[in-house]
Amino acid sequence: MSDDVDTAIDLVACLERVRAGNQLAARELVEHLHPLVIRIVRAHLPRRVAEEDLSQEVFMKVFTRIGQYQGAVPFPHWVSRIAVTTCIDHLRAQKRRPEFRWADLSENEADVLDAVLTSENDVSANDALAARELVAKLLEQLKPDDRLVIQMLDLEQKTLIEISQLTGWSTTLIKVRAFRARRKLQKLFEQLQKKERS
Amino acid sequence: MKTSNSAWQRLVVAARQAPVAADDAAPYGFSTRVAALAMAGERPSLQSSLNHFSWRALGFSLMLMIVSIVANYSSVTTVADNDQEFVDPVEEILNVS
Repeated sequence: MSDDVDTAIDLVACLERVRAGNQLAARELVEHLHPLVIRIVRAHLPRRVAEEDLSQEVFMKVFTRIGQYQGAVPFPHWVSRIAVTTCIDHLRAQKRRPEFRWADLSENEADVLDAVLTSENDVSANDALAARELVAKLLEQLKPDDRLVIQMLDLEQKTLIEISQLTGWSTTLIKVRAFRARRKLQKLFEQLQKKERS
Repeated sequence: MKTSNSAWQRLVVAARQAPVAADDAAPYGFSTRVAALAMAGERPSLQSSLNHFSWRALGFSLMLMIVSIVANYSSVTTVADNDQEFVDPVEEILNVS
């Protein structure tokens, strides 16, 4: 992915022009990096925050700090890290939902939850969207940092090293957060199993 | 615990199969707006320049004040000592009368 981003435009020349205050180069850079930023923003979008507002905030941070970029890591990686930390800040700022309830689920989501709790069969591919919505609702019950870790590990299937590069956290800390998140999810499933579907 | 974990894993496997939004391109006007905002932010405004210079001027004047006090401290204290030795002629005349 990053290779595609690197080869599509001459990033070095573009960055030089941006640093010199060239607005056209800044526009090119935004258009070029938008797919990368929007994917991260969509994956970690907090409730009641528009993805366009959040991605704009990411780009504004990129331009403000562009003088600090030394080239030690590829530019897309540097931008990804800014995007991830911006999302974490927003997730930390929002309050968690007080309780996860069957009543808050749509019919499809309730069916999916019923299926994963009661049967050993896999969820049907037709219910993938409902499963994703359900996962998002369950993840909202976690602490922002734990949520980010479990989402990157289990949904995006990133490695510990990749998560460490994106967040700046040590692999030990990531493991601790993943353990804490899974334990919380496990408790949540147990509570839901006890309550059953009304 | 095993059941809960496997439930989560099965749920995650299903969630991963959900189609990802294909449209990653920037919305119309987004890049122009962001670039304009970013470039506008880089040029310092008149007010921020004035703020910057006024803080510098304040710092410089404070430093000048300290240097002048240190440099003139000895002469100030000498004058004060001389004042104590000074005899007021009017007071002397009044005392005599």
